[in-house]
Amino acid sequence: MLFRLLRLILILTLVVSAPPSFDAVAQGLGQAPAGLVADQQKILQSLTTKTDNFEKQIQQDAEDDGSLVDIRLQLEELSHQSLNSALAFRTRLGEINSRLEQLGAAPAAGQPPEPDIVSGERQALVSEKAEINSVIAVAQTLSIRISGLIDKIGNMRSELFRNLLTKRYVLSDALSPQVFSDARDEFGNFYKAVSSWLSFAFKFKFQAILAATFVALGLALVLLVGGRRLFGRVFEADPTNEDPSYLSRLSVAFWSTLLPTLAVGAFLGSTIFFFNYYNVLRGDIGLFLNALAAVIGVVFCVNRLTNAALSPRLPNWRLIPVETGPARWLVRLTTAMAVVIGFNYFLSIVNDKMGSPLSLTIARSFGATIIVGVILILMAMLRPFKARDGSWRPWPAWLRYTSLALGLFTIVAALLGYIGLGLFVSSQVVVTGTVLITAYIGFLSARAIGEEGAFANTSVGRWLSANSSYEDTALDQLGLVVSVAINVMIVLVFLPLILLMWGFQPGDIEAWAYKLATGINIGSVTISVTGILSGIVVFVIGYFLTRWFQGWLDGSVMARGKVDTGVRNSIRLAVGYAGVALAALVGISAAGIDLSSLALVAGALSLGIGFGLQNVVSNFVSGLILLAERPFKVGDWIVAGDVSGTVKKISVRATEIETFQRQSVILPNSNLINNAVGNWTHRNKLGRVDIKVGVAYGSDVKQVHAILLEIARSHPLVLKNPEPFVLFSNFGTAALEFEIRVFLADVMNGNIAQNDIRFAVLERFSGEHIEIPSTPRAVVEIHKPKAWPTDDDKIEADFAEQEQVKAEAEAEKRRLAKSRKTKKPDPD
Amino acid sequence: MPCEMQQRRWEHRYCTMWKSLVAAVALVAAIGSVHAASAVNKDAETRTLVVTEGGSKTDLALAGGETVEFCQNGCFVTLPNGDLEALTGSETVEISGGVARIK
Repeated sequence: MLFRLLRLILILTLVVSAPPSFDAVAQGLGQAPAGLVADQQKILQSLTTKTDNFEKQIQQDAEDDGSLVDIRLQLEELSHQSLNSALAFRTRLGEINSRLEQLGAAPAAGQPPEPDIVSGERQALVSEKAEINSVIAVAQTLSIRISGLIDKIGNMRSELFRNLLTKRYVLSDALSPQVFSDARDEFGNFYKAVSSWLSFAFKFKFQAILAATFVALGLALVLLVGGRRLFGRVFEADPTNEDPSYLSRLSVAFWSTLLPTLAVGAFLGSTIFFFNYYNVLRGDIGLFLNALAAVIGVVFCVNRLTNAALSPRLPNWRLIPVETGPARWLVRLTTAMAVVIGFNYFLSIVNDKMGSPLSLTIARSFGATIIVGVILILMAMLRPFKARDGSWRPWPAWLRYTSLALGLFTIVAALLGYIGLGLFVSSQVVVTGTVLITAYIGFLSARAIGEEGAFANTSVGRWLSANSSYEDTALDQLGLVVSVAINVMIVLVFLPLILLMWGFQPGDIEAWAYKLATGINIGSVTISVTGILSGIVVFVIGYFLTRWFQGWLDGSVMARGKVDTGVRNSIRLAVGYAGVALAALVGISAAGIDLSSLALVAGALSLGIGFGLQNVVSNFVSGLILLAERPFKVGDWIVAGDVSGTVKKISVRATEIETFQRQSVILPNSNLINNAVGNWTHRNKLGRVDIKVGVAYGSDVKQVHAILLEIARSHPLVLKNPEPFVLFSNFGTAALEFEIRVFLADVMNGNIAQNDIRFAVLERFSGEHIEIPSTPRAVVEIHKPKAWPTDDDKIEADFAEQEQVKAEAEAEKRRLAKSRKTKKPDPD
Repeated sequence: MPCEMQQRRWEHRYCTMWKSLVAAVALVAAIGSVHAASAVNKDAETRTLVVTEGGSKTDLALAGGETVEFCQNGCFVTLPNGDLEALTGSETVEISGGVARIK
């Protein structure tokens, strides 16, 4: 049996370690996927053609920002594809290289020539490799070219943007009376287009329109009513509530913005969807309707948002604490601004589609810009706050002046003819302003959640406190964490959003985020956020694993194994330290910090640390020795110097001892290692208790000895072996001194035994008339003289007062007696 | 079994800890990890790679024993033996004995 097994193993080893047959490999290699090169060449050819097309398109669409962005995205995809086609050669190249290595170098001059078959194969491989390299080189050139094109697009776009901002239009041309006739023509065209569509729709598609509208309306209603049913509690502000919390105000604002906006959005979206579905829309009308829907949605959303945040009707529910009148005005102004910008957008779509003259576009943009500027200035002039004395206070200076400056800037830019710049600034003000205000409200809510006790009152907090074992303090800390997380999230969400609004490309932001995440090089050190984060996470995981392992080892294995408590404690601590140290090391290396460089630093610092942290290190090492050597364990009664008590905890630097007076003494571990430590309960709890007894000279010492011995023996706590012993210890100055020495199984019971024995001794001695002498003391009687009155005047005054009171009482008595005499008897 | 029903105290504690741990792992998974290609030179002398990334060619000189991270979004590399290779950005290029291998 054994031999068969051995043989089997031997055969297996031989098979595994047998060198692969070269011929077989050569044959395998010889069948190269011949199509590979041709395939990739074809792919690259088509990619190159596409790139050529895009290059032409770039020249054509040089003025169109949107199409440039589109081309850029497609070019990036092409670059990716060319890289992929180059990647397809990797395995083949690897095979060729390893085969070439096996074949070895061609024999140099003077060496014996190699067989033809070898040189032929090498030749074939080298030429194939050259072919592959040339294909990859084509891919590389293509990718370089595409990168160049992408850069070019970036340059063109920034040029376009600069043109938009710096291009100056001659206003006198644009604002001539000609504009009005142009506008009339334009409106006529628009009216014709719409009315012809309407008449067509009513004639042929009336039922479809009706059905689509009703379905859309029904959908919106379901959303609104369902939303109200679901979130009715948080949806509506309760006017009777005097002082709603910030969070409830916020949730009301949020939901009362979101739900109606969603309902309106659903209505508009589904209307357009069903119109499309029933083929009601024609090309341009569809565009107009889309634009109109977008404008209506945005205006509605802005109106709802400002209404919710400023709530002009319910001052208690206002998110931003402005007065009622200004709140109403702010809502009107913001809505007006949204209407103007939206209307301008809609008209720009119409202008585009109708191919209207430039002057009309300029006039429209000019009007919109001026109106937005005026609204901005009006907002800045508003005095939204009331001071204590009832006077109106304006916005904070920075806000007021920024708003004023922006408004003036747009107006001046428009007046000077820089319409593009003015329009850009005004639309940025609206969009960025909205984003900033939303972010600000988010920050406020984060602060509200972070306040003490606020998180426990949120629905999540209530749920957590009902469904988990978290206590109030834990919930509070959780609230703090949540508020920090909200802050971080706001920055993470809104910063890129604002950057995107300002014309940065998602690619740029991604690249920045990537740089930040993967590392910033400072010299040879790389600091990376992800590195540090992953290090921390690894450490935390290691820490929790250690704690879990500790708990499992202690609670399941060692408790079941009936391991001694002291040993359990030692092992638990040692495992804990080892685990945390390991987790820290792994975490540091996961954070990307080179351990060898750390060792260098540690080496350099060790001298300083050796001096500076001498005590700490010595205590630490002593703690380790205590754990290993275990001169005492938790629960032992030890005496170290002046301190005597039970060991409560052995930790890394110090040991906690609780004296019998319940005082905690923290003793540095090095003290316990370097000095003598008495341990009453080291191996066992056996201990001896001595009780001294003195009897008067002349007593019967034999009898005394017998009595004491009997008392000692009869005590239940006293051990029979070792036997109790009574020592006649001394002929003292006043007494014959005896000592009862008894052994106890648990020395912790010493006090009980001593008490019992002393009581018994006194009792027996008084029964047997044996005297316990005590040193007589002189009895001194002290006569305390009565204290001499210190304040004569006061006593005199008191005396006089008493006399007076007495005299008055006498007079009263007399008066009463007299009045009684004078009274007539009652008539019968 | 929910944590509240754990009988022993430490079990209860570690049960909640496990929950936190799972949450932490999920967080890490959500953050995801980004990698760059790295090149290791195991030789004593300096080796040079030519990296084509983002439309420009750069020489990447690797001193003996040095490890360098490069090529975040894919690139082309000319290895010391003249071979041209494409990298996606997750590979390790190991140079030993003047020969580069891609892993």
